[in-house]
Amino acid sequence: MFDLRPVLFGTGLVLAVLALAMGLPTLVDFVHGDADWRVFAASAAVTLFVGLALMAANYVARRDELSTRQIFLLTAAGWLAACFAAALPFAFSGLHVSGVDALFEATSGVTTTGATILRNVDHAPPGILLWRALLQWLGGMGFLVMTVAVLPVLNIGGMQIFRLDNGDLGDRVMPRAATVTMSIMGLYAGLTGTLTLLLWAAGMSRFPALLHAMSTISCGGFSTSAGSIGSWHNPAIDWVMLLGMLLGGAPFIIYMQIAEQRWQIARRNRQLRLYLIYFLIASLILALWLILEQDLKPLPALRHAAFTAASVMTGSGFATLDWGRWTGLPVAILFFLTFVGGCAGSTSGGIKIFRFQILYANARGQMNRLLHPHAVILPHYDKKPIPDTVVESVLGFLFIYALSFAVVAMGLGMVGLDFWTSLSAAASALANLGPGLTPSISPLTGFAALPDAAKILLALAMLFGRLEMFIFLALFAKGFWKK
Amino acid sequence: MLVDLATDHSEWQAFAFSSMASGFVGLALIWANHTANEQGLRTRQAFLVTVTGWLLAAIFGALPFYFGSLHLSPVDALFETISGITTTGSTVISGLDQTPRSILLWRALLQWLGGIGVIITSVALLPVLRIGGMQLFRMESSDKTDKVKARISQVTASIFLIYALFTLLLTIALALAGMTPLESVCHAMSSLSTGGFSTSDQSLGHFSDAAQWICVLGMVAGGITFTQFITPWKRKRWSILDDSQTRWYLSILAGFSLLMAFWNWAMRDLDVYDAVHQSIFNVTSIITTTGFHTADYDAWGGFAQVAFFVMTFIGGCTGSTAGGIKIFRYEVLFAVTGVHIRRLLHPHGIFVIDFNQLRLSDAIGRSVLGFMMLYFFCFVLLALALTVIGLDVTTALSGAASALANVGPGLGHQIGPGANYADLPDEAKCLLAFGMFVGRLELATVLILFSKNFWQE
Repeated sequence: MFDLRPVLFGTGLVLAVLALAMGLPTLVDFVHGDADWRVFAASAAVTLFVGLALMAANYVARRDELSTRQIFLLTAAGWLAACFAAALPFAFSGLHVSGVDALFEATSGVTTTGATILRNVDHAPPGILLWRALLQWLGGMGFLVMTVAVLPVLNIGGMQIFRLDNGDLGDRVMPRAATVTMSIMGLYAGLTGTLTLLLWAAGMSRFPALLHAMSTISCGGFSTSAGSIGSWHNPAIDWVMLLGMLLGGAPFIIYMQIAEQRWQIARRNRQLRLYLIYFLIASLILALWLILEQDLKPLPALRHAAFTAASVMTGSGFATLDWGRWTGLPVAILFFLTFVGGCAGSTSGGIKIFRFQILYANARGQMNRLLHPHAVILPHYDKKPIPDTVVESVLGFLFIYALSFAVVAMGLGMVGLDFWTSLSAAASALANLGPGLTPSISPLTGFAALPDAAKILLALAMLFGRLEMFIFLALFAKGFWKK
Repeated sequence: MLVDLATDHSEWQAFAFSSMASGFVGLALIWANHTANEQGLRTRQAFLVTVTGWLLAAIFGALPFYFGSLHLSPVDALFETISGITTTGSTVISGLDQTPRSILLWRALLQWLGGIGVIITSVALLPVLRIGGMQLFRMESSDKTDKVKARISQVTASIFLIYALFTLLLTIALALAGMTPLESVCHAMSSLSTGGFSTSDQSLGHFSDAAQWICVLGMVAGGITFTQFITPWKRKRWSILDDSQTRWYLSILAGFSLLMAFWNWAMRDLDVYDAVHQSIFNVTSIITTTGFHTADYDAWGGFAQVAFFVMTFIGGCTGSTAGGIKIFRYEVLFAVTGVHIRRLLHPHGIFVIDFNQLRLSDAIGRSVLGFMMLYFFCFVLLALALTVIGLDVTTALSGAASALANVGPGLGHQIGPGANYADLPDEAKCLLAFGMFVGRLELATVLILFSKNFWQE
C-alpha cells in the first residue's frame, strides 16, 4: 500500500476551495434576503471543517513528487468528494429536492454536464443559481487543469502527445506545467469576464450575464431560465453564447499562443481546423433542414442551427429551440455529434477531435498497407509520427467508451427508459452534454421525471466520462492497491 | 427449377431463362479470359476478383426474382438477392406462406451459397489480404496455428464437405421435428448460413418448439469458425473449446441469453421455460447475425431493444458464416485495453498479448483499430443517409447496423422483426443493399477499390 496522506491532503484542499466558493452564494443570498443563506453558510462550514481536518491530519512537511498511483487516486477522490460536498446546499435548500436529485444536480454541475432536475429555475433563489453556475465554472477549470497537467503525464487516452515537458512536441509552450496551468486559469477567468460584458452589452441583465458566461466557457449548460437561452428571444445573446461555446470547446493552449502573438502556430493547429469544419458542416445541414422542414427564414435558421450544433458538439446543452423534440435527420446528426465532442485541452467532453485525427491517420495507413504489404508506413499527427503507445491508448479509450455506452444504455433500458431515451441519455451523460434527444429528456424538459436508479446511473456515467474513463479503471486494475 | 417442374408451376420458365443467361455469361467470361499458364493472383487482382465475383453473383441471382411470378421491381429483386447472398435475410417479399416453392428454395439456396462463399473468402482470401487483423488467421504460418491442412484448396474442400454434411443433418433433424421436406431443407440452409430467410411470414414462430431448438443448434454451429470442425477427428480429443474465440462466443451467447431471460421473466411475466426459450432463440439469432425470430422482440421493452441493438454490433466468429464485427476483434481490443491499463501504472513495463498461444503484434492491433474505425464510420454514414431519405431515427440506426452486420431485421415498426423491408423507399433499399455488401466483404475489400492508389500502376 502506498502513502495515502498526500491523496487525502489533496482531497481536503479541493473541499476547502469548494467551501470558500460556497461563501459567494451565501453572500448573495444574504444580501438578497433569502433564507437559503443559512444553508450555504452551514454547508460551507461543514465542508471547510472536513477539508481542513483532512489537510491538517495528513500534512507532511516534506513534499515528495506524487507517484503515478497517488495522482490517479487523488484525481478520482478529488472529483468524487467535490460532487458530494457540492450536493449539500441543494439537499438542504428551500428547493426541497431529494438526496438523489441533489447528488445528480451537483454531479451534473461539477462535470459541466448541465442536465438539471430543477423544474422551476426561473423562481429559484439567486444563491442556488449562482451555485450551479459556480460549480460548472470550477468544474470546467478543474478539468482544464487536469487535461493540461495530469492526463498527459498519466498517458490517458493518447493525451501523452500533448505532454508539455516534451519540448519538441508541444511547440515551445512554456516549459513547466505549473506556469502553463496558472496562465490558463488566468485566461479562463479573462474569457469569462469578457463574455459577461458581451452578454450584458447584448441585453442580458448583469447577474444572468455573469452566470451564463460561467456556464458557457465551461461548456456546462445550466441556465437561469427553464426555457434556456430561447426565453430571451434576442439574436445578439444567441450569437454571443455561440461564440462562448465555441471558445470553450477549442484548445486553450491556442489562447496562450494568441496572447503571445504567435499567430502562425495558432493558425496551424489542425485540431482547431477540423473542429470548425465539423461544426460548419453540421450547422449548414441543420440550417437547411430548419429552412425546408420548419419553414424558418434563412438567417434565423442559420443562427439556431449553429447554436444547436455548437451546443451539442461542445457538450454544453444550451438551447434556443427545443432540439430534443426534433425528428429524423437532425436527430441523427446531433446524436453522432454528441460522440464527437470538442478539442482536447478544452472544457468540452466526448471523444474529442484529436482522437478522430489519430484514427483517421491510422486507418489511412492501414489502407495503404493493404496495397503495399511490405512498405513501411507510419501514420503522422501534426507532422510527427504517432508512437505505437498512442494508438494503443486511443484504441483502449474508444473501446472503453463504446463499452460503457452500451452498458449504460442497457442499464437505462433495464430501469425502464425506452430505446431511444436510453441511447441518447447514455451518450449525452458520457459526453457531458446534458439534455438528450427525446421529449422526455429534452433541453426544456429536464431530468426530474426519471426514476432514481436512472439518475444514479447517469451521474456515474457523467463522472466516468469526465475523468476520461481510465482514471477510474486504473483504480480497479490488478496490482493498483498492492505494494 | 426442377422443383417447379415437379409441382406444375409456371415459374420454371423464369428459372430456366435465368440459369441459361447466367451460364452463358459465365462461360463466356471464363473462355474469353482464359490464360494458359495460371499464376498466383496479385494482391490487387485478388481484391478485384473478390468484389466482382460477389457483385456478379448478386446481379445474376436477382434474375429469377425479376422474371418470376412475383414480378418484383429491379430494385426489390436486387435487394432480395443481395440480402440472400450476403446471408443477411432482410426480405421484401410478404405472404411467404403462399409464395411459389421454387422461389423459397432459391432464396434459401442463395443464402446457402453465400454462406459457403463467405467462409471460403474469409479462410482463403482475407487473411492473405490482411483485412482487419485477419492476418492472424493466415494458413502459411502453419507452424504457429494448429496443423490445419497446409494447402488452401484442401481446406476449402473439407470445409465444403462439412458444410454439406451439417446441412444434411439439420435437414433430417428438422424433418423429424415436423417440417415438410421443403421447409426443412430451406431452414437447414438458411440457419447454417446464418442467413435468416424463412418460408413463413412469422419466421420460426410458425413452427414447433423442437424445430426452433434445432435451428438454434444450426445457427450456433454457423457462427463458429469452420476450420474448427475439420480437425477434431485428426486430434485426440474434441478440442473446439480450446479455441478462445469459440469460448468467448459461447459465453457471450449465454450471457446475453441469461440477461434477456431474466428481463422476460421479471418484466413480462413469462414462465421460466418460455422466457429461456424465447430469449435463447432470439439472442442467438441476432448475435449469429441470422435474423430468425420467434416473437416480436421489438415489443419487449426498452432494455430488450437496446440489448438487441448492441448485439447487432457483436457478430460471430471469424471464418464462419456470421457477419458483424466478429468476436476475435473484441478479444484483441479487450487484450490491448487491458495492457493499456496495466501500462498506466507501469509506464515502462513490457507487456505481450497472446491470442490462442499466438503472440499478437502491434500491426494487428492497428489493423483491428482501422477496421473498427471504418465500421463505425460506415455505420454513421449509412444511418445519416437513411435519415436524409426520410426514415425515422430508430429505423435508420438499427437498419444501418443490421445491414452492415448482415443480421436482417432491425428495430421499430417499419423494419422490426415480423415487418418487412418492402415499404421502404427505393433509395433506402439501395443503400441498405450496399451496406450489406460492404459489411459482408469486411469493408476494406470493397472500399479499397475507391482508393486512388489502387488504380495507379
